[in-house]
Amino acid sequence: MKLLVCIKQVPDLESRFKPNSEGVWYNETDLAFRMNEYDEYAVEQAVQLREKMGDGCELTVLSIGPDRVVEAIKKSLAMGCDNAVHVQDSAASSKDPWQIASIISAYAKDKGFDVIFTGMQSQDRGSAQVGVTVAEQLGIACTTTVVGFVYDNGTITARRELEGGIKAAVKLNTPALVTCQLGLNIPRYPTLPNIMKAKKKEIVAIPVADLLNEAPLAATTSFHPPAKKGGGIVLEGDVGELVDKVIAILKDKTAVLR
Amino acid sequence: MNFELSQDHKVLQSAVRDFVEKEIKPIAIKIDEDHMIPDALVVKMAEMGFLGSYFPEEYGGAGLDMLSYAIVVEEVSKACGSSGVLISAHTSLCSGPIYTFGTEEQKKKWLPALNTGEKIGCFMLTEPNAGSDAGGTMTMYRREGDEYVINGSKTFITNGGYLGTAVLFASHDRSLKHKGISAFIVDLQSPGVTILKNENKMGIRGSYTTAFALDDLRIPAENLLGVEGKGFNVAMDTLNGGRIGIASQALGIAEGAFERALAYSKERKQFDQAICEFQAIQFKLADMWTSIETSKLLTYRAACLKDAKKSYTMESAMCKMHASETATFVTKEAMQIHGGYGYIADYEVERMYRDAKITEIYEGTNEVQRVVISKLLLS
Ligand SMILES: Cc1cc2nc3c(=O)[nH]c(=O)nc-3n(C[C@H](O)[C@H](O)[C@H](O)COP(=O)(O)OP(=O)(O)OC[C@H]3O[C@@H](n4cnc5c(N)ncnc54)[C@H](O)[C@@H]3O)c2cc1C
Ligand SMILES: Cc1cc2nc3c(=O)[nH]c(=O)nc-3n(C[C@H](O)[C@H](O)[C@H](O)COP(=O)(O)OP(=O)(O)OC[C@H]3O[C@@H](n4cnc5c(N)ncnc54)[C@H](O)[C@@H]3O)c2cc1C
Repeated sequence: MKLLVCIKQVPDLESRFKPNSEGVWYNETDLAFRMNEYDEYAVEQAVQLREKMGDGCELTVLSIGPDRVVEAIKKSLAMGCDNAVHVQDSAASSKDPWQIASIISAYAKDKGFDVIFTGMQSQDRGSAQVGVTVAEQLGIACTTTVVGFVYDNGTITARRELEGGIKAAVKLNTPALVTCQLGLNIPRYPTLPNIMKAKKKEIVAIPVADLLNEAPLAATTSFHPPAKKGGGIVLEGDVGELVDKVIAILKDKTAVLR
Repeated sequence: MNFELSQDHKVLQSAVRDFVEKEIKPIAIKIDEDHMIPDALVVKMAEMGFLGSYFPEEYGGAGLDMLSYAIVVEEVSKACGSSGVLISAHTSLCSGPIYTFGTEEQKKKWLPALNTGEKIGCFMLTEPNAGSDAGGTMTMYRREGDEYVINGSKTFITNGGYLGTAVLFASHDRSLKHKGISAFIVDLQSPGVTILKNENKMGIRGSYTTAFALDDLRIPAENLLGVEGKGFNVAMDTLNGGRIGIASQALGIAEGAFERALAYSKERKQFDQAICEFQAIQFKLADMWTSIETSKLLTYRAACLKDAKKSYTMESAMCKMHASETATFVTKEAMQIHGGYGYIADYEVERMYRDAKITEIYEGTNEVQRVVISKLLLS
């Protein structure tokens, strides 16, 4: 059995973001990066399946990005992935979800992966498109927002999270791709002995040019932090005037009085 | 020159950070109040490999290096100085000398249980009348057949309350001073070992500081560690390495207090502005951070020198001295920045202030570090 888990490295969300010089993405200088939180659940689920299937099962972790993403790759190896692929791309953050997905599909298409795990979305771009697009490009089954995962003899039974806390069960036959939601499991800590063992695992580096054949379909044209909230509006006058003003503001700025 | 941690060390640092954030930080106040690190936490730290970081895998260690060990102690101590010293005393004061001076048989016999945390290690040097002057050891040993018989008392033994494995120092002839001292590996579950008390302390209250009486403690002759009469060298070499652990503990305590002070100074408003707008607070933050950064550079450098098998006696004395003084300085200022709240237990900086002080005292007082540094400068 062959498994693939795709991970992304994202900035610590508590960072202060500034636009880059082109004004289309954030400036990476001084940001601390870590594994996308959704992907931690994906890695954990993949490792659990790997452990359940035992010898003869192989779990590969893949990440696209500059050299710093090797840190996230090493964490996945220390969590229990067998080997890794680093698609070297210093400009990964300027690619749209279609291109990112097509890079993954180009790598995966002739490898015969039985299950591919991804996070539901990334914490920075948040498109939630990469996983589903990979499945579409590879022509395999896919389900998203997975909060429960059972594999048995070629069939995945996934619990999906719907709006308002409602859950649904979905069955799909492998090969298949699942996108993982927060809370799917409890991601393990990489232990010191496993960090040591991970040093000996293979990380294959592939230049992105070898895998990228697609042009972007949707380019980001600007990036800006939310406008600073004003200090509020102080209304003055007698009660009748005040009410009129409030109603005017509510009509203008909100949907409650339309 | 390269001042960046390697990618592998960064992976380790963030893994330890995540663990500490979830498993230790939430219970640090309770550890201090209860005077006790929960056994469950000791088990979890052992499972993470924190108790055998730099020993080879063949002895049950993680096979990492001294710098990794320093990072572990630092990160743990950011949240809890008691847990930090448990790791430090266990690793560098007990497993350390067994690994460095032990025979292959001794290493195979004692290290796996220590590295996996099945036994907690301690270092039994200090006595009521032999502190800085360890050459004044009064605990006596004599040979009887294929056993050594040990009598005396030991005090202030970190991790002593676990009654695990100890590296113990005793003399066979007081008139020989330090040349009469030998080192032994002791199973503290043996008859003849009595706990007199676990001390009630100002800080690191979760850590055991134990006084022992030793009455006709019999240990097999094979438990002699290193050469007979060379125990003082074992002690001094061990403390050289141990000081890197204490420097890391002190560094972590300082960083933990600094993080809180920085955040608090941005949140707290007085006179219609955040207190970080006052230059009085800004200058404190600048001094605190500069001390932390210099401590970190000294500590990591000493660890790297040990990893490179170069001489590091001066560097470990300097990092221990500087980082411990940084810890007392930074925690004091962090408390001041918190105003009255800094004095209240919930805000944690008062605990860090209490935890910091011991780092200037144990594993050689800072006066002793100055003796070591100046002696080397003048030799
Ligand atoms: C919480 C705690 C944990 C400890 N853990 C351990 C442990 O695990 N194992 C262990 O063996 N010991 C341990 N110790 C003992 C610790 O290492 C000693 O307390 C320390 O070495 C100082 O010895 P002392 O207390 O006897 O002080 P003293 O040696 O009596 O020192 C008193 C003062 O005199 C100064 N002084 C002494 N000699 C000189 C000199 N030559 N020049 C200048 N000044 C000098 C000292 O710096 C100090 O200021 C621990 C102590 C404490 C409090
Ligand atoms: C044990 C205890 C007993 C107390 N007893 C009493 C009592 O009986 N009655 C009572 O009324 N109060 C009492 N207090 C309150 C005490 O007086 C205040 O805590 C103290 O005045 C500081 O105020 P604060 O804690 O709000 O700190 P803050 O005023 O928030 O100060 C935080 C930090 O900012 C600094 N700072 C603030 N303003 C400036 C400035 N303009 N320039 C430079 N630095 C500045 C402060 O020096 C401090 O370092 C007590 C407090 C404690 C802890």
